[in-house]
Amino acid sequence: MGKLKGFLEHSRVTPSYRPVHERLNDFNDVCEKLSEKEICTQASRCMDCGIPFCHLMGCPLNNLIPEWNDYIYKEQWSDALKRLELTNNFPEITGRICPAPCETACTLAINDSPVTIRNNELTITEMAFSRGAITPKISVTKTGKRVAVIGSGPAGLAAAQQLARLGHTVVVLEKDKKPGGILRYGIPNFKLGKWVIDRRIKQMEQESVIFETEVNVGIDVSAHYLKKYFAAIVISCGSEAPRDLNVPGRELNGIHPAMDYLSNANMYLSADTPLDTILTARNKKVLVIGGGDTGSDCVGTANRQGAKKVYQFEIMPKPLEWNEPWNPQWPEWPNILRTSSSHEEGCERKWSVMTKSFAGKDNKVTRADCIMVELKRKNGKMELSEKKTSEFNINVDMVLLAMGFTGIKENKLFKDLNLAMTDKKTFKIDQNFMTTEPGVFAAGDAVTGPSLVVRAIYQGRKAAENAHNYLTKQ
Amino acid sequence: MKTIIENNKMKIVKKQGLYEPQFEHDSCGVGFVANINGTPTHTIVEDGLNILKNLVHRGAVGGDQKTGDGAGMLIQIPHVFLKKISKDLGFKLPDFQNYGVGFLFMPQEKTARDKIVSIVEKNIKKEGAELLAWRNVPVQPGCLGEMALESMPFMNQIFITVKGLKKEELQRRLYIIRKCIEKEAATNGFSMQDFYIPSLSCSTITYKGMFDAPMLEEFYEDFADPDFKSAVAVVHQRYSTNTFPSWPLAQPFRHIAHNGEINTLRGNINKMCARETTLESPLYGNDIKKLFPIIEPGNSDSGSFDNAYELLVSSGRSLEHSTIMMIPEAFGPSYHISVDKKAFYEYHASMMEPWDGPAAMIFTDGFRVGALLDRNGLRPARYIITRHGKVVMGSEVGVLDIKPEDVLKKGRLAPGKMIMIDTLKKRILRDNEIKSSVSRRKPYRHWLNHNRIELKGLFQIPATENLSDTGSLLTIIQKSFGYTLEGVEKIILAMAVNAQEPISSMGDDEALAVLSERPQLLYRYFKQLFAQVTNPPIDPYRENLVMSLMSFIGRERNLLDETPLHCHQIKLTHPILTNDDLDKLRKCEIEGFAVSEVPILFKAHKTELKEALDDLCDLSEKQIDNGSSLIILTDRGVNENYAPIPALLATSAVHHHLIRAGKRHLAGIVVETGEARDVMHFATLIGYGASAVNPYLVFTTLADQKKKGKLPELTLETAIENYIIAIKKALLKIMSKMGISTIRSYKGAQLFESVGLSSSIIDKYFAGTPTRIEGIGIDEIEKETLMRHKLAYGETSIDKKILDSGGSYHMRKSSQNHLLTGESIVILHRAVRENNYALYKQYTDLINHQSQNLCTLRGLFHFKDSEPIPIDKVEPVESIVKRFVSSAMSYGSISPEAHRTMAIAMNRIGAQSNSGEGGEDENRFKKLANGDWEISKVKQIASGRFGVSSNYLANAEELQIKMAQGAKPGEGGQLPGHKVSELIASVRYSTPGVMLISPPPHHDIYSIEDLAQLIFDLKNANPEARISVKLVSEVGVGTVAAGVAKGKAEMVLISGHDGGTGASPLSSVKYAGIPWEIGLAETQQTLLLNKLRSNIRIQVDGQIKTGRDVVIGALLGAEEFGFGTMSLVSLGCVMMRKCHLDACPVGVATQDPELRKRFKGKPEHLINFMNFIARDVREIMAKLGFKTFNEMVGQSHKIETDKALAHYKAKGLDFSNILYQPELKEETSLHATSKPQHDFSNTLDFEIIKQAMPALEKKKKVEINMPIRNRNRTVGTMLSYEVSKRFGSKGLPDNTITCSFKGSAGQSFGAFLASGVTFQLEGDANDYVGKGLSGGRIILTPPKKATFRPQNNIITGNVNLFGATRGEMFIRGKAGERFCVRNSGANAVVEGVGDHACEYMTGGRVVILGNTGVNFAAGMSGGIAYVLDSDQLFDTRCNLEMVELTPLTDEKESKFLYDMISRHVKLTGSTYAAEILHDWEEMLPQFVKVLPIDYKKALERMKNFESKETELVTVTEEIY
Repeated sequence: MGKLKGFLEHSRVTPSYRPVHERLNDFNDVCEKLSEKEICTQASRCMDCGIPFCHLMGCPLNNLIPEWNDYIYKEQWSDALKRLELTNNFPEITGRICPAPCETACTLAINDSPVTIRNNELTITEMAFSRGAITPKISVTKTGKRVAVIGSGPAGLAAAQQLARLGHTVVVLEKDKKPGGILRYGIPNFKLGKWVIDRRIKQMEQESVIFETEVNVGIDVSAHYLKKYFAAIVISCGSEAPRDLNVPGRELNGIHPAMDYLSNANMYLSADTPLDTILTARNKKVLVIGGGDTGSDCVGTANRQGAKKVYQFEIMPKPLEWNEPWNPQWPEWPNILRTSSSHEEGCERKWSVMTKSFAGKDNKVTRADCIMVELKRKNGKMELSEKKTSEFNINVDMVLLAMGFTGIKENKLFKDLNLAMTDKKTFKIDQNFMTTEPGVFAAGDAVTGPSLVVRAIYQGRKAAENAHNYLTKQ
Repeated sequence: MKTIIENNKMKIVKKQGLYEPQFEHDSCGVGFVANINGTPTHTIVEDGLNILKNLVHRGAVGGDQKTGDGAGMLIQIPHVFLKKISKDLGFKLPDFQNYGVGFLFMPQEKTARDKIVSIVEKNIKKEGAELLAWRNVPVQPGCLGEMALESMPFMNQIFITVKGLKKEELQRRLYIIRKCIEKEAATNGFSMQDFYIPSLSCSTITYKGMFDAPMLEEFYEDFADPDFKSAVAVVHQRYSTNTFPSWPLAQPFRHIAHNGEINTLRGNINKMCARETTLESPLYGNDIKKLFPIIEPGNSDSGSFDNAYELLVSSGRSLEHSTIMMIPEAFGPSYHISVDKKAFYEYHASMMEPWDGPAAMIFTDGFRVGALLDRNGLRPARYIITRHGKVVMGSEVGVLDIKPEDVLKKGRLAPGKMIMIDTLKKRILRDNEIKSSVSRRKPYRHWLNHNRIELKGLFQIPATENLSDTGSLLTIIQKSFGYTLEGVEKIILAMAVNAQEPISSMGDDEALAVLSERPQLLYRYFKQLFAQVTNPPIDPYRENLVMSLMSFIGRERNLLDETPLHCHQIKLTHPILTNDDLDKLRKCEIEGFAVSEVPILFKAHKTELKEALDDLCDLSEKQIDNGSSLIILTDRGVNENYAPIPALLATSAVHHHLIRAGKRHLAGIVVETGEARDVMHFATLIGYGASAVNPYLVFTTLADQKKKGKLPELTLETAIENYIIAIKKALLKIMSKMGISTIRSYKGAQLFESVGLSSSIIDKYFAGTPTRIEGIGIDEIEKETLMRHKLAYGETSIDKKILDSGGSYHMRKSSQNHLLTGESIVILHRAVRENNYALYKQYTDLINHQSQNLCTLRGLFHFKDSEPIPIDKVEPVESIVKRFVSSAMSYGSISPEAHRTMAIAMNRIGAQSNSGEGGEDENRFKKLANGDWEISKVKQIASGRFGVSSNYLANAEELQIKMAQGAKPGEGGQLPGHKVSELIASVRYSTPGVMLISPPPHHDIYSIEDLAQLIFDLKNANPEARISVKLVSEVGVGTVAAGVAKGKAEMVLISGHDGGTGASPLSSVKYAGIPWEIGLAETQQTLLLNKLRSNIRIQVDGQIKTGRDVVIGALLGAEEFGFGTMSLVSLGCVMMRKCHLDACPVGVATQDPELRKRFKGKPEHLINFMNFIARDVREIMAKLGFKTFNEMVGQSHKIETDKALAHYKAKGLDFSNILYQPELKEETSLHATSKPQHDFSNTLDFEIIKQAMPALEKKKKVEINMPIRNRNRTVGTMLSYEVSKRFGSKGLPDNTITCSFKGSAGQSFGAFLASGVTFQLEGDANDYVGKGLSGGRIILTPPKKATFRPQNNIITGNVNLFGATRGEMFIRGKAGERFCVRNSGANAVVEGVGDHACEYMTGGRVVILGNTGVNFAAGMSGGIAYVLDSDQLFDTRCNLEMVELTPLTDEKESKFLYDMISRHVKLTGSTYAAEILHDWEEMLPQFVKVLPIDYKKALERMKNFESKETELVTVTEEIY
């Protein structure tokens, strides 16, 4: 365990953000780094709980948090890495972008500030990379079985890496130019630099994972082909169909699904595409609809692109403002007001706002008409109702719809494979992560619907484990 | 007049349900009386009868309130009387010692009896003897209880001669005849209960039976005859934990009478059995085979001892030689004993292991009679020698009325000492004389020096260079032996760093091994047995001077002979071998000592574990046949193709195979295994036969860890040594739990119970181990082993080279199931805070949903479909919650906030909270202004007796004697100094910052009759309160509970193994005790069989979490329920398991002021929880159709078990024993309907209180005079209750009530005596004088007429002033052992004391004007003793670990001492003390001051006002 009563001696310290004026000028990481010594001190706050809520209830990957915290405290970095790698394929990614449900579940969060678990995770991994301690884990024995992984988001990558390490021949099929999926094209660089993904892809290539990019399954390769040449298939295509806002004026130009906007920005930065003037926020008044993380990413990106003004509207009421260090809903993810680095950079946030319609000029959006809503209990259910005479409107040049996703994007392959779906337009799988088609597994958002990266990694690992069992039993 | 009951077949209670007769315990009063000059008189017989009558209170009666547990008398053959009889019977009796008399317990039923008669006659004839006559012994069954009567045998005596034989020779022939008869009777299906021979001898005869002591003479008419004479009478009064009548098991046996318990019996019997093959004696020649089996099957511990003893004595060893061979005294480095004696003991250690356990043993051959105490001396044995040549020895003083002027000497046996009266030589032989002559009868010392093998370099600093050989394979090998990260870091590394086993807290809620999905090491299917009530555990830290890990390995020779070669064995100082040590053994080239090696591996790709075991056994036997003296079982060489046979299975299989082959004693077994690493592993390996263990993989692991920089502050050598030290300490602790002192007798003693192994495994490989619910067989063991092997070597696993987390101690997702999960805690917190029953139900679903989370046996239970009733017909919640208590948690282990909140909550709902050990702040006795009450209505009395005063006891509704605690049964505890805050110190009457020790045993409970005495004491201390006894579930707990019921407790608490703790060694949390389901069911069944159930209520606790748990408990027999862990969880506990570290982040289990602030629990939370449980219970009751709780109790047939469960291990379980219901008469109640009636007929306090009324009512001074005798027990305690009730802890002004007594006081004289009361006793006293003294004054003087010198004589017994908190005591004369144990504030003057005086003392001043025994001041952390050290050897008798000795230089202190002694002179009239004062200038420098080091520091701190928290010294070397 960490230091006995270390949490009484030391308070929580997290890395600070670079100054707003500085970070707004680039797309680089917004975080500063803490000293190694400080990280050890922070790890000493971990109590090695009898029931580690972080590990059991917080982290979907069940990261062995108390174990590596203890190693950090004792400065045994290589052991820390070993325990971390046991459950997490990409700790340098989760260490950057995970919302860290582990920290809200930390026992200290009952009445104190939690351990800086996410930053500890990141430090272990980055230190290991800098020391050259993260090397390919090349499987000695080869099974000779071929596995196709469809999609290279976090679930696909995790599945591919696990399967390759078990000695299978893994081919990852990706529709975009580079592997990474949402990690590469959905998350802005200031939160996750793309070099981080490249570094990991390189390791995976050394571990014999084959990446076939710009392959559109169902079009470029048929179901028949895949079934014939691969002993198993893992589908991790994400949950890419965006939820739309069906209101008058939706058809106007300048209204985009958030993910289109973000991926375009990312592609431009990695020089995959030229700048699309339609999809840049430069000099525009931008309205982001949706108060979640994607919305926040849009805010940060728009500001960096030089937006004139950024609004973010959320239909649900403003959550509890909470300034205490502990979690009022411990150990669960609390419904409290969160302010991200992007929000700090300039943004007008409103809650309980419903967008009723858009108006435009020259087929371009110029105005959003909104109304305030209230959450009321009706027949035992909570329902939204409009507040009378609370209408208002704002002038906008660009509207980004960050209202979540509704399931997988339809694809011929899935039809040809004849995979059963759930009501939520995700794949139906059994307890072994297998779809209704033998040998075809599914993982990630394609199964769970839109969720956290960390959960996708978990899904990918699970699918790989089950695919492996399936393959070895063949 | 003879009454013969014909055709009444004896009813014997056989093994049924969970009741196992082998776990009956008994304990008792013993004594003897003898004429030194050997003249047989009828007076001696009468004296014997009188002794018995005066020991009645040490016995007990059964459920029929009449059947005694047994009593008897062994005397010389009353020749004159028999001669008279022979005339009536019409035969001629030969001269004394020329004929033998047999006493026979025959079947009542005629045809069976005829069969026996013919067997007897046939064998007598066959052995060339002549049967002179049969005699029907006249008896008076009218005095018997119903149960005794039903099983009463027909009594016969027979008379035998053998031509030309007399005395010893005749005796030997009679022995053969008896054995032949017994054997033939057994082959004809007669058990010992059907037919038994109490004695067949030419010198002694034993009369005994199932009655209370006074009825002996009433039952056997012979006693009345004036010609019924003897020079020697040995008597015994039995207190058995049960009353299944067993006539044969009454004592005395043929040679001995025993008060105590042989704990190592299983090992002793196995070893005796194996030795039979090499027994030879010229005295017997070929006849020796007729004596087998030496140990009669079905015998008790004492009976088996008698069997073995008889063999030794009859083969030519003297009585005294045989006795000390079997019960050797301690001869470790702390003892000053002669080198010859030491050599004698060591030589015999190579021949026979001690029969270990508490023992006051009386032995006789009719002409010599002696008594001996075992090394611990935990049984009282007091004697008086009269001027007229009589010696009276008894468990108490005052058992015979002897005029003071006739007393020549009053003494007591000290631990390990003996005394013997030789009526032929007409003298008394003292310990020194006996032992020096025995130990020099042969040149044992020379034999030992020349033949004992001492390997050079054994147990030296280990070499470490070859340790890291396995390199990259290490992890894989570790995995094949089931290593986990947690095991390496939390167990192995922790021991290497701290040299002691790790500590943990909270209970063990991990799934039982047999219910676990993951492969479990075989060790997890075993649970350690521990002593509770029937014998005391030993303190392995403070009293380890009596303990020893030394043993011999090699070939044992003929037990009946002694030659120099007998000790040609290797001496091991302890059983943990380093790789070097093993290497030396392997390579040793010693003549007559061959070493061979047998691998314990099996092919991993086949399933042939069973065959491999057979081969292993055969091979081992072959090696012995080829001359091996030492067999090394080794699992080195595990690889992809070979998996290790579980080391425990291999060891025990070989051990039992060799026992069956009669070859076990011919070779030692050493186990070289990669598997052993935890202390339990070593304990089981040794317990099942290994002499030594080499845990090579631990050492390699340590080397690897060192290489990785994990042991920065230690050298590898030190790490290894520390690890070994930790294991050694822990082994001592595990042994001590059973009260066993030497590893020699622990080896093979099998002191374990299995939970989850099938009897097919047990019978074949672990024969004699109890297993009650069946479980897995060899196939499953194999499967588990291969699963581990596959994890290590199998397939292309990615993380092959990384250890699993483990998760057995701290939960992990991938680990074992635990009953409480994060989710269930979170939901429950919400439920109790929001008072939301629906959330509570979610919580119970998580706990009860056992297909997801199978952890407990009850998880497999189901309620049978029943006719439901409407819920409003069911008893209301308000009355159900009254059956609930919050389990005992001490004031030191949890925060004051949590403790008070719990009390308020329980009081509000009319339930009870428990103070736990450690007193209670008196301010809490008064109600708060808002009507709340912080009082704990249950007050606990634990071994440390912290804060147990008259006032504490008077303010309670229940007084609970804690015999054991689920998390660490059989162990003590200690509160480290840094936790002893001002508040805690004040309620415990101790000094802040000074460590407090709770000893493993209650020093006033060494046996069941002692417990009955404490119950009686407490009943006197508060007649309104009910008395309860807390036990922990283990095999035999039912019989202990029966004993408790007979001791007249009103409630017995059965705790599960999984109960919580504030701090406990990890191995104890995991491996001691069993689930309450088994213990509770056993208790219910045994109490019913004994007809005791209706008198005593049963409470159960141990991870009780839901209404379902409560109902299952009720159906199995419980009426009340304790909630420990869940009470804490309701108040915010999150199972951090950090209580022992004072680091609880939610302020529940901490004394840290910062953390205490974080406590957020409210009484409402706990109230909500209790109400939820009751509501839940009520709903189930409605479903089951029970209107009232009482009608539900014991209805085990409402439970069925899940047969459909597909779990590969659990499917072998069989719960029929748990659900078994004994056949009962219809009216038998399954729950308590009445209370036990205490017998106050000998209580003097009623009269005293009457006379003291003016004092009690008006504080007027009164003086009272009264005679007293040993039957008058616990005098003054009820009076003190009256004082405390009226005046609180302040009591009355000094000397308000003065009582003067004359005579021999019974036990517990002046116990809990309150302030203002002065007791003067002229005469002598028994044990426990001034126990818990609470401010009163006791003055003890010898009779005025006595002529002996008081300072040389024992006038008061053992354990005086135990747990005294305040007051004074002056003793003119010497006191026995353990004077002032755990005294925390009384002052005393005494003229000499026995061993272990001032042990664990925490306060008070003790002046000792004479010699002390050994181990003075062990564990003494406070108070001061002044000892007159005239021989300047006191420092050698003092345990210097915690104290320092200084001269008295301070004038104030000298004056204090002078004043104390002056008062002593004034109050007792001691001339001896007056002389000391007279020569004060010369005497003062001879006084030594004994001052605890920490106490001194604390005193200095207080003096300097420097009590800053941070500067408190750490005194916790061993927190346990």
